[in-house]
Amino acid sequence: MARERKISFPMVANYNSVVKYFVEHGLNAAFIMPPKLTRRTVEIGAKNSPDYVCAPFKTLLGNMVDALEAGADTLVMTMGLCRLGYYAELQEQILKDLGYDFEMINLAAYSTGKNRDYFKAVRRLNPRVSLGRLALTFAECLKMVEHIDEIEEEYYRNCGFERHPGQYKKVYDRFLLNMELARNVRDIEAGYLKAKREFQAILLDKPEQPLRVGVIGEYFTVMDEFSNLYLEQKLADMGVEVHRWMNLTHRNIHYQGQKNLGVQISEYCRYEMGPTSTANIWCAKNYAVHGFDGIIHLKSAGCTPEIDIMPVLQNISRDYKIPVLYLTYDSQTSDTGLMTRVEAFYDMISMRKQVVQI
Amino acid sequence: MKEAYLGIDIGSISTKGVIIDKDNQILASEYIWTEGDPMGAAGKLISALEKQFDKETYQIVATGTTGSARKLVGAMVGATIVKNEITAHAVGTTTLYPEVRTILEIGGQDSKIILVEHGIAVDYAMNTLCAAGTGAFLSSQARRLGVEVEDFGRIALTSKHPTQLAARCTVFAESDLVHKIQMGHTKEDIIAGLCRSVVSNYINNVGKGKKILSPVVFQGGVSKNIGVVEAFRKALGCDIIVDENGHLMGALGIAILAGKANARRTFDFSVEDMAFRTREINCGRCPNNCEIICIYRDDMLIDSWGNRCDKGALKAGIRTGVRTMAKN
Repeated sequence: MARERKISFPMVANYNSVVKYFVEHGLNAAFIMPPKLTRRTVEIGAKNSPDYVCAPFKTLLGNMVDALEAGADTLVMTMGLCRLGYYAELQEQILKDLGYDFEMINLAAYSTGKNRDYFKAVRRLNPRVSLGRLALTFAECLKMVEHIDEIEEEYYRNCGFERHPGQYKKVYDRFLLNMELARNVRDIEAGYLKAKREFQAILLDKPEQPLRVGVIGEYFTVMDEFSNLYLEQKLADMGVEVHRWMNLTHRNIHYQGQKNLGVQISEYCRYEMGPTSTANIWCAKNYAVHGFDGIIHLKSAGCTPEIDIMPVLQNISRDYKIPVLYLTYDSQTSDTGLMTRVEAFYDMISMRKQVVQI
Repeated sequence: MKEAYLGIDIGSISTKGVIIDKDNQILASEYIWTEGDPMGAAGKLISALEKQFDKETYQIVATGTTGSARKLVGAMVGATIVKNEITAHAVGTTTLYPEVRTILEIGGQDSKIILVEHGIAVDYAMNTLCAAGTGAFLSSQARRLGVEVEDFGRIALTSKHPTQLAARCTVFAESDLVHKIQMGHTKEDIIAGLCRSVVSNYINNVGKGKKILSPVVFQGGVSKNIGVVEAFRKALGCDIIVDENGHLMGALGIAILAGKANARRTFDFSVEDMAFRTREINCGRCPNNCEIICIYRDDMLIDSWGNRCDKGALKAGIRTGVRTMAKN
């Protein structure tokens, strides 16, 4: 029998517990949890990447190095609708040139749209996988993603208003740990319900009309808190209700589809512009219509689809009189410049709100 | 004793300070170069302000700091409010000019635009990543041309045919400029072209997608350059207000904010004689290696920041035994 594979998948937001669960239970293989993203990760990634590639490439590459050093022998890399689709190929080449010995499963090579082809990739990871078990685990994983997203949403909406600081964070961290340690679907459900109950019990000092900010932007940077320098936490700490539509639940599992969203924003754009462009424009309009106090748009430097939607966002900003803050991230780790802009944005929307309320 | 408020704006190039009374009247003001030493500059600024200030009738009850070194100097002077320069500028200018609709600001390293409606800032933008079209660019080009940057505006106004210069990027603008000099363009034409390129760069980058409505106030260090003011007037087709205290707006704004806020702490002029020192340490408690900045007054740790989690938290007030070099 072939030795057991040690599979790893680069860290994306909080979803690695899901990948872990899938690999361990669905594929019956070992999962190497990549170490948390740190400055060292970014440094290694940036050193070995082409200079003009976007920051997520560098971060993921660094994280792959971390995972390989932690003992992984098989890496899985996702496909994507923008340049991301080519990343696995290039990253494999760079890592092989660096002298790492591993196998890369490039999902882009299997993304024909047919489930049969995805199954081929799974077969490569474990040839003796049981289809029934795989399907069941996959369903459980979707449930876990939904739970993580729901808890995260609730966390960022409320954690800025708790009466005793730190309570929300404690529950949230414990929930994420529970998801990582979950061994069956009962653990997942129990962890989720526990977090929900504990959130309910926390006392809030929330004004009737709190400041509400919608965060939109490029898929990876907007979801990964390390890459966006904990933007949502910073906003929440100032006393803002932070909303972010973009997550796996909304964008992938329950995505309404390009056509359905496109119809709702037909006055702003008529064509699809990129992987998350339609969704982000729709989302920005949605926030504007619902009377949010501001929108923050983030992207990594050089992300073409997100640069393209900025003129549309400017139109939305003018039509609905909603301020939009544009932030560009590269592989920097200092947050002084970010803080200046976010603080000023907060001051502006809060002064505006005071005037409107009088 | 009447109440007074102190505001300090520590920018990358210059450090500004004002003391105002309850009616926002300026009692003392000072403008000096930062010269890469924000703490030293703040010390000098405070001693200069002390000379102008009437200590018998007024007492400073609240202190605010703003600008890129706000946190550092805020810890040093014991500020009651530490705020970003965008808010400070908006507050300062709207207090003096309640009617203003657009505030253009070009400083040493940054440039920003603030849109105002009914005296409240409603939108702003700030340059990202690149210092093209800021004061630093103008002063480096002045050095290349062998002209004092203070004379730039006067020389620019004498030009009849400003040279076209690539405006997008400092690097391109500079190589374009060298080329034009060697081609034989006159100095005043090139200087006027530089002023124009600063303006078009500003309008295309910072002001992109923003509707610039009159009345327009132009401030920041570069507003002292009449060549740039003239170029703005031509490009926007409206009158540009430049206040004689335009360079003090940030400091004024933060002083006003300090006065409005509830926090009160009597300011002690003796900080100028104390020795302050900073030290950078790498936390090392996890692979992230946060760079933690520690500030010491004499050998007492008064503040620290830069840590991302509690592992790197240091308690203020610890005597570290690290000896500080006495001032001078």
